[in-house]
Amino acid sequence: MLHFAIDHDYSICINGDGVDFMQLSLQAMTGDLTPSLALFARVVRRGRRIYYTVGNHDIQLEHFLSDIGPMNVAPFLNLRSGEKRIRIEHGHTYDEMFLKYPRLYWLFTMIGRWSIIIHPRFYKFVHDLNHDIIAGVEYLQSGFKPRSERMKSVTGEFIEGERQCFREGAEMAGIRGFDAVVFGHTHLEGSIGLSSGVRYYNTGSWFGAPYCVAIDQGEIWFGPVSDLTTKGDPFPRKRPEQAAALG
Amino acid sequence: MKNPSRYEIQTFEDGEIVVREGEETREMFVIKEGAIEVFRNVGGHEVRLAVLDRGNFFGEMSLLEGLPRSATARARGKTELVVLRPGTLLLRIRQDPTFAFELLQQMSHRVRQLNDQLVLKVARAEFGNRLARSAFMMTAASEYVGPAGGFESGDV
Repeated sequence: MLHFAIDHDYSICINGDGVDFMQLSLQAMTGDLTPSLALFARVVRRGRRIYYTVGNHDIQLEHFLSDIGPMNVAPFLNLRSGEKRIRIEHGHTYDEMFLKYPRLYWLFTMIGRWSIIIHPRFYKFVHDLNHDIIAGVEYLQSGFKPRSERMKSVTGEFIEGERQCFREGAEMAGIRGFDAVVFGHTHLEGSIGLSSGVRYYNTGSWFGAPYCVAIDQGEIWFGPVSDLTTKGDPFPRKRPEQAAALG
Repeated sequence: MKNPSRYEIQTFEDGEIVVREGEETREMFVIKEGAIEVFRNVGGHEVRLAVLDRGNFFGEMSLLEGLPRSATARARGKTELVVLRPGTLLLRIRQDPTFAFELLQQMSHRVRQLNDQLVLKVARAEFGNRLARSAFMMTAASEYVGPAGGFESGDV
């Protein structure tokens, strides 16, 4: 995706967890970061910018909330494109599990750390199991109501498998004068309309088939990163200095 | 019982007054759609203080301090406002901490603007216009820092 952004003159927003302090060793991180930093430098040399919204796996970057030369590190991004206002943030601050049970959340994260060492597919298995466990807890807390019955009270669309707290978080953020809200964190990609008229996008996970959002002059494109490389720029008529890509 | 976490929306037509200077109401507003003009009446003349667009807050001073409205706010075009009452503000902050961050950031920005205006006025009073403009430009250049948190990015 970085290569695509460089070739098509986009600015970039890395929407959290781009660096994993929780689950990766320093050796692995430096091995991954070094080529990425070189690509960041190429982005900047083209006169574009890099925005980094902090996630829960790189929450330590909150110590660097400021401009770092060509990179802005921020808790969220309020983007103005054309007539549209778009809110971009990782979404972990709306995660009820993350907020209410931080130690349990940390334990699952450490289990994930060891899973990655075994194999990324095993990590995905453990991550999906984590989702099932959380779903089980919600089932118990709801008084043994199945998900289909619980979701009957939810009006409108929802992303399959996503907990309601994220949709509610998108509603709370979006109603403050935004046309669209972009989250990550859940590892579940999707795009839905909210009751306030705001469009909610979730770009899912870096693992497997990652999704991204491309924005140009108020137009928003959402889809898999692979579509960018196979089908090309979704905004081919754009002027290079007026484009932004997010993922 | 009404869910206190659900938001209340009020709609205003162009030119309609939202709050009036001196009123003792305590709501705070976030602009969902449209724009708001904020002004004060000085010696029978309207002095415009600001024009706020989508995403901006106003009325937070009355909510936080419980004092009468310091200015009048009027809708520019059809405007939709999210209403926050004292009872829901803390709940909203707890549910959405980025809201508190943005509130602080906007208030910080306004304080900075007021400081700049004050410096200009004091310099103008003491040194006259030419030197005051120089002093203002130096102050503005030395104190400009890109926003530390969420920010508006233009021209994208």
